[in-house]
Amino acid sequence: MEKTVTQEFETRDSVSKPHTRLDVIELGKTYVTNGEEHEIFRGLDFAVEPGQVVCIVGPSGVGKTTLLRCLSGLLEATTGHVSIGGKPLTEPVPEMAVVFQDYSRSLMPWMRTRENVAFPLESKGVPKEERRRVAEEALTAVGLAGAGKKYPWQLSGGMQQRAAIARALAYNADVLLMDEPFASVDAQTRFDLEDLVLDLRSRLGISVVLVTHDIDEAIYLADRVVVLSGKPASIVDIVDIHLGRDRDQLTTKAQPEFVEARARVLRQIRRNADEVDAS
Amino acid sequence: MSTTNTLRRFLEQAWLPFALLALWWVLSSGSTNFYFPPLSVIWETFLDELLTGRMLRNIGASMRNITAGLFIGVLAGVFIGVAIGRSRNLRAVLDPYLQFLRAMPQVALIPIIIGAFGITALPKIWAIAFACVWPVLLNTIDGIRAIDTGTRDMVRSYRINRRLELFKVMLPAALPQIMAGIRVSLSVAVVVMVVSEIWGATEGLGFFINQSGAQFQVAATWAGTLVVGLIGYLLSLIFLFIEHRSLHWYHNSAQQ
Repeated sequence: MEKTVTQEFETRDSVSKPHTRLDVIELGKTYVTNGEEHEIFRGLDFAVEPGQVVCIVGPSGVGKTTLLRCLSGLLEATTGHVSIGGKPLTEPVPEMAVVFQDYSRSLMPWMRTRENVAFPLESKGVPKEERRRVAEEALTAVGLAGAGKKYPWQLSGGMQQRAAIARALAYNADVLLMDEPFASVDAQTRFDLEDLVLDLRSRLGISVVLVTHDIDEAIYLADRVVVLSGKPASIVDIVDIHLGRDRDQLTTKAQPEFVEARARVLRQIRRNADEVDAS
Repeated sequence: MSTTNTLRRFLEQAWLPFALLALWWVLSSGSTNFYFPPLSVIWETFLDELLTGRMLRNIGASMRNITAGLFIGVLAGVFIGVAIGRSRNLRAVLDPYLQFLRAMPQVALIPIIIGAFGITALPKIWAIAFACVWPVLLNTIDGIRAIDTGTRDMVRSYRINRRLELFKVMLPAALPQIMAGIRVSLSVAVVVMVVSEIWGATEGLGFFINQSGAQFQVAATWAGTLVVGLIGYLLSLIFLFIEHRSLHWYHNSAQQ
């Protein structure tokens, strides 16, 4: 806690900071309701390397949010396990921060934006002055300098989601878990927030696991796309994306690699959906 | 600008009660009905009682009882409510008893409480507290239960400690419902305050009203009754002030 966040924001790279890797091993989840078993997904196997952006894409209702809850330690898996930095995950850990889809519920309306961002630090016992500075710096990093004294409901949807991202940054986690984070903002804001995620990844070297139903968004952001489909869901494809680190909403999405990856993912999802319908 | 607005709003609301009082004053001025003395006589009696110190002593006793009773009742209601609201098992076990106790008219318990615990101030405070607990308790339980999973997930995933979870998440989240409960308790408290001072009491406004009524001092009875109304009104003003300040985020965010 001696270093300021800005220093940390700048010096954090793969050399100076030991990064945390996330492994998902044979993960399965089955709910039991009224004595009836519902298997959501089974045998999920993938890894998130330090500094990587992994997008989990699949149709609505495939169990993406359930998977993310398992990854964050909020929900216990039925089979297999998740390991973070080599340790098995049994509950939420400080190495991971979650950005929820519904920012209006995850930001507390009775706290100012700055207090919301600093809230997890308050729980860690960080002194008030320090908390405030870290919160302001995290808000600046997401382009919300000066908005800290406003209440969340005085901000637009996109700004609220930026504030939620700032809270995750202030928490100083190595892995950011994002559950459909841009589903409820307009298209332009969505593009801006996608670029913010890429920007934070390259500046801070954090890894990001992002769940989405939007194939374009998944490919635009990801180093690796994990495609979920079927009932119960399983991984039908893992696509490595070679679009480099500098991406642009206009040019990247027109590149042949982008278009190719898009077709491949869509074909996989469709084929498996057809198989489910046929069976 | 806001002060002129406040003043205007006050005048808009205040003209009617003053007009009604003036109307009462004029219409009752020639009254010879024993039970409906002129308002001027009631006012003079009130001033007399104030001068002898009898009125102030009784107002003081009543105010002490109602403040202490409300304080204990609200505090107990909130804390028991949080405990029950958080635990599904506790809710399932306690729900029938809570519904039964809530449905029981609290005033009916006063003879038992005073019979069992005597005619001092303390049993009256307990009676007020016991009556005030229920609306607050049940509303707190509902408020805590209604906290959505998104908020709970945030608390868990950011490893928010128990103390902060209680004071900075659960209580603020349930505060709108808690406040609605307190508002109900307020009017219940005034009723129980008066009634508890009628049975086996030596002081308080209920005692004053009862005693002056029994001695056919009708003007004094009226004065006492009006003071009770005034206290109820005063309490709700104080409540509205507190509610406005503590729930500003709730009212403002709803307008957005």
